[in-house]
Amino acid sequence: MVGCAVFAVAWLLRPASGGAQEAARPHPDATDTRSIFLRDCATCHGADGRGTELAPDLKDAGAGLVDYYLLTGRMPLRDPSDRVQRGTPAYSPATIRRLVRYVSDLVGPGGPPIPHVDLARGNLARGGTLYRLQCAACHAWSGGGGALLHVDAPSTHPATPTQIAEAVRGGPGNMPAFGQAALTRSQVDSVVRYVRYLRQPDDRGGLPLWHLGPLAEGAVAVFLGLGALVFSTRWIGTRT
Amino acid sequence: MTSGAPRRLLVAERVATACFLLAALAAIGLAVVYALGGQAQLEGALLGVALLTLGTGLILWAHHFLARGPFEEHREKLASSELEREEFEESFERQGVVTRRRLLLGSFIGAVGALGVAFLFPVRSLGPNPGKTLQRTPWRRGSHAITEDGRRVRAADVPLEGLVTIFPEGHPGSADGQVVLIRVHPRRLRLPPHRRDWAPDGLVAYSKVCTHAGCPVGLYQTKLGELLCPCHQSSFDALTGGDPVFGPAARALPQLPIAIDSDGFVIAQSDFHEPIGPTYWNRP
Repeated sequence: MVGCAVFAVAWLLRPASGGAQEAARPHPDATDTRSIFLRDCATCHGADGRGTELAPDLKDAGAGLVDYYLLTGRMPLRDPSDRVQRGTPAYSPATIRRLVRYVSDLVGPGGPPIPHVDLARGNLARGGTLYRLQCAACHAWSGGGGALLHVDAPSTHPATPTQIAEAVRGGPGNMPAFGQAALTRSQVDSVVRYVRYLRQPDDRGGLPLWHLGPLAEGAVAVFLGLGALVFSTRWIGTRT
Repeated sequence: MTSGAPRRLLVAERVATACFLLAALAAIGLAVVYALGGQAQLEGALLGVALLTLGTGLILWAHHFLARGPFEEHREKLASSELEREEFEESFERQGVVTRRRLLLGSFIGAVGALGVAFLFPVRSLGPNPGKTLQRTPWRRGSHAITEDGRRVRAADVPLEGLVTIFPEGHPGSADGQVVLIRVHPRRLRLPPHRRDWAPDGLVAYSKVCTHAGCPVGLYQTKLGELLCPCHQSSFDALTGGDPVFGPAARALPQLPIAIDSDGFVIAQSDFHEPIGPTYWNRP
């Protein structure tokens, strides 16, 4: 009877959301880095971090991508079949730093490191040109993301400068990696600066229409403009 | 307006005048705003007001103060009179007036013939014969790969799952020489047997010109190993030699055989082995 009451109270006091996740992870910083890795990562990436049939080798990912996946809350997954998408980070920034170092030491060098971004060195206009050439086809001209054939490209707006550079250099998910050959350091700085600018672009037209793009703008022009034209034509043609 | 005019017309006249005055004010305002440095939204609004009031005034004018129809205008009969017809028939060709009939006819035929021959000459301007230009690109044996801004591409600078758009050295931005260079895990590649040495260390290169409508096939989806064309969603399998797997493209993306030289730079083994880009009239 007492046991039942305790259980009921515990059930009532459980966190409102993500209860199961929290239960599996009492307090991340309290446990040491190795046990976090073994508990949250090793099931799919292997205890040595070299990948299993469920998940890729962390050596190829490099420190930059490990940092990116953890900072954007895309990893760890609760289930390997879950959709990889942005969420709240599961660990504190300090734990993420320790995990990244742990993985780097575990698998050895390989893959791009965490890039250093200097926004002041970036050129906004050149970044815009590079963005339209290399990024806009998937992430849309506005950075809002877009649908591809089997997958979709996420919005770039929530990403911090370092996360953007990590994604560019490392190529998470289905995105290709842009190495030194594709973009120099200052070109990455420029692209990052432009991607950050896209969060609050200077809308010269005054009415951005939620940045839906030229098709939406055309539709508004057709329905409003053409409608107004039809009505005024009718008025002009009316005999008084 | 005379004092006897109906009140309705008086009102219309006043409104039209007010419209024109407002249009003038808006136009002056537009000029002032522009001269003071400009503000796109305000200028647009003022221009809109000026045009709208000008148009409204003109329509009011047309509706109320111009003569009202419907109007009719009677046409004269088009047919010629009997007398005219007879005169025409009589004078159509006056017998005996032409003295050298054959010369007249001959010169006429000469004129028409010369004109016809002259019209044949512009046919020459349809040339020159394109020859083999559609089957060749600027890539040659040993051409260094460069980026659009002219840097030579070092193989080590292309990471795994990396993508670079490359051009043959000396032709940056070349339309038919643009190539996507990607690096995949060598064990994922399943190229046809004769292309085994075309992709050193998993570096594969394909023409960036879609074989469907010529768009740049620049979207590489790493996990699927597929190149996607943003125009019509044609997908090409980059791991098996560029075979089309989805969308309207029917032919494979031509693969560029590449190699890595002793200094670690990416070079071409030769030009493409087939014409790049969309189908054309006599494509083999």
